[in-house]
Amino acid sequence: MSRTVDQVAAPIEEPTAWSRVGGGARWLGNFIRRKPLGSVGLFIVVLFCVLAILADVIGRHDPDEIFESPNPDYKANPTTLELARDPGIGSPVLVDQFLEPSGKHWFGTDKFGRDIYSQVIHGSRLSLIVGLGASVIAVVGGLVIGMLSAYYSGAVDLFIQRLIDMLQAIPFLILVFAFTQITEASVTNMVIWLGVAGFAITTRLIRSAVLGVRESEFVTAARVVGASDLRIMIRHVLPNVGAVLIIAFSIGIGAYILAEASLSFLGAGAQGVPSWGKMVQAGRASLDLHPWLTVFAGAAITLIVLGFNLLGDALRDVLDPRLRGV
Amino acid sequence: MQQYIIRRLIGAVFVIFLTGTFIFFMLRLLPGDPAAASLGLDAGSISPEALEQRNAKLGLDKALHTQYFNWLWDTVRLDLGRPFSKEGVTVWYEIGRSLPYSIELSVLILIVGFSVAIPIGLLSAIFQDRWVDYVLRTLAILALAAPVFWTAAIATLAVLQWELFTIDVIAQPHFWEDPGAALTWYLIPMLAGGFAGTAATMRLLRSQMLEVLRQDYVRTARAKGLRESMVIMRHALRNALVPVLTVMGVTLATIIGSQVILENMFNIPGIGNKIISAFFGRDYPVVQAVVLLIAVFVVVTNFVVDILYGIIDPRIRFS
Repeated sequence: MSRTVDQVAAPIEEPTAWSRVGGGARWLGNFIRRKPLGSVGLFIVVLFCVLAILADVIGRHDPDEIFESPNPDYKANPTTLELARDPGIGSPVLVDQFLEPSGKHWFGTDKFGRDIYSQVIHGSRLSLIVGLGASVIAVVGGLVIGMLSAYYSGAVDLFIQRLIDMLQAIPFLILVFAFTQITEASVTNMVIWLGVAGFAITTRLIRSAVLGVRESEFVTAARVVGASDLRIMIRHVLPNVGAVLIIAFSIGIGAYILAEASLSFLGAGAQGVPSWGKMVQAGRASLDLHPWLTVFAGAAITLIVLGFNLLGDALRDVLDPRLRGV
Repeated sequence: MQQYIIRRLIGAVFVIFLTGTFIFFMLRLLPGDPAAASLGLDAGSISPEALEQRNAKLGLDKALHTQYFNWLWDTVRLDLGRPFSKEGVTVWYEIGRSLPYSIELSVLILIVGFSVAIPIGLLSAIFQDRWVDYVLRTLAILALAAPVFWTAAIATLAVLQWELFTIDVIAQPHFWEDPGAALTWYLIPMLAGGFAGTAATMRLLRSQMLEVLRQDYVRTARAKGLRESMVIMRHALRNALVPVLTVMGVTLATIIGSQVILENMFNIPGIGNKIISAFFGRDYPVVQAVVLLIAVFVVVTNFVVDILYGIIDPRIRFS
């Protein structure tokens, strides 16, 4: 952030609401100029947020609607022989199964005659909720545990460290899979378990940040003037690990979205909502004949994870370059 | 050093104990009746007497703490018990049958992953901010974002579309039995797994190389007239690889995670496949054994890496 001497020397003004907006816009402008890849990520993330919010408008169809068309070969009272030759002959309408992409169905239709484009658009809701929700839980949990662990070093710290080693000794996907088996497969439970499984990494990050701050002189000074532990943690330590919190929040989102898709793919995902992982799985049965479902849903997962990863990388570089490679 | 090793060893054993305890009690939280599931039935469609009998046979009628201490004592003696879902075999036998498949796939994924990640990371750092760097980095970012089941599905689609070769997922040959058939079976999972496993390593290696290339000893090496290839391979790469080695435990855990999906997709009867079916079938002993095995593997890898770290880089002080 290069500032000219004039700017530094300018008199300090009370920040008004408007100047804050201006400051935010300036920061954003700087970010876009200096981090083109991060801006691409930001654009993708914003795009998916818009898609998720306006899914009912942009999606064109209801994702659960089953499309049918009249049966050209329909016969009111078919004979047994005719039925044997064409089992669908007795019904006046046919389900629009496995249609190719067209003007009406941009990405085609699936096995049950549902519009794939609409499903892909509505699927963004689950991915965003899961990614953001799990990351919030992981960061809040990691903050509490990491702070306790770092601040009260000793036996507590040692035990928490071993617990985290334990969580990291089990592959993330297997851990979340195991957790999700405990409760019924709803979106809320999915978010909670993904966040809990994510504790390990966020706790590590936040703990090391707090350890750094704990040794600084202003914490010692606060202790000297008699501030309580709680006050020191909230007033002195917390504001100084803010950057790490944002980083911990943003770098995990992509991983949670991927994990959710993988769980849905394995058949352990949230039931009753359009999910990209489930769609890739459903499309696999007839991949060679009707690749649309798998191709588009998988592309959506890749794109949204790419967006969050690019944005997270750029935020990390801007906020705290020392954490490169985390 | 000796003291450090002992302390790390105690920590490692404790972590393995915690993992086992964790998975033991977690399994007992799962809904569903394991005794009924082991017979392939719902709890409702089986008489209470038969269920009781089954529970007694599987040792599930005892109090929870008795079950736990029995399990602990058995595990310490390396007795993993018998699977609920199969008569007449031990869990060791089941693992012995599936583990070779998983090891074959892991080794292939590791070979593919590293033989892609190291040159890419190297080139990307040498040509920093040139088009080579941008192309390779974009590839790595894409590899990190694309779900492994999707890349594998797209690869399968390509193979089917152009009729490159036939993928036989029924025969399940080992490499030493029929190398040709095994290779066509493992080819897509190993490429997809390697591609996904590569990205993190490549990015880490690139940033480490950039750091190392700015060091004084690299300048010294250049100043004394060494060939550039010598400087890169002997002085820079060797130092940049140390951090890649230290995250080996995490890398392996990631690979095992993607193996669960790949084994499921390509009908590879490895431990990744085993653990998912054992979970769905509430086969406690098998889940416990497989999770414990993976945890031991990851913890031992971390332990060995930590010890090796000091040998590779004597500047590291153990504290």
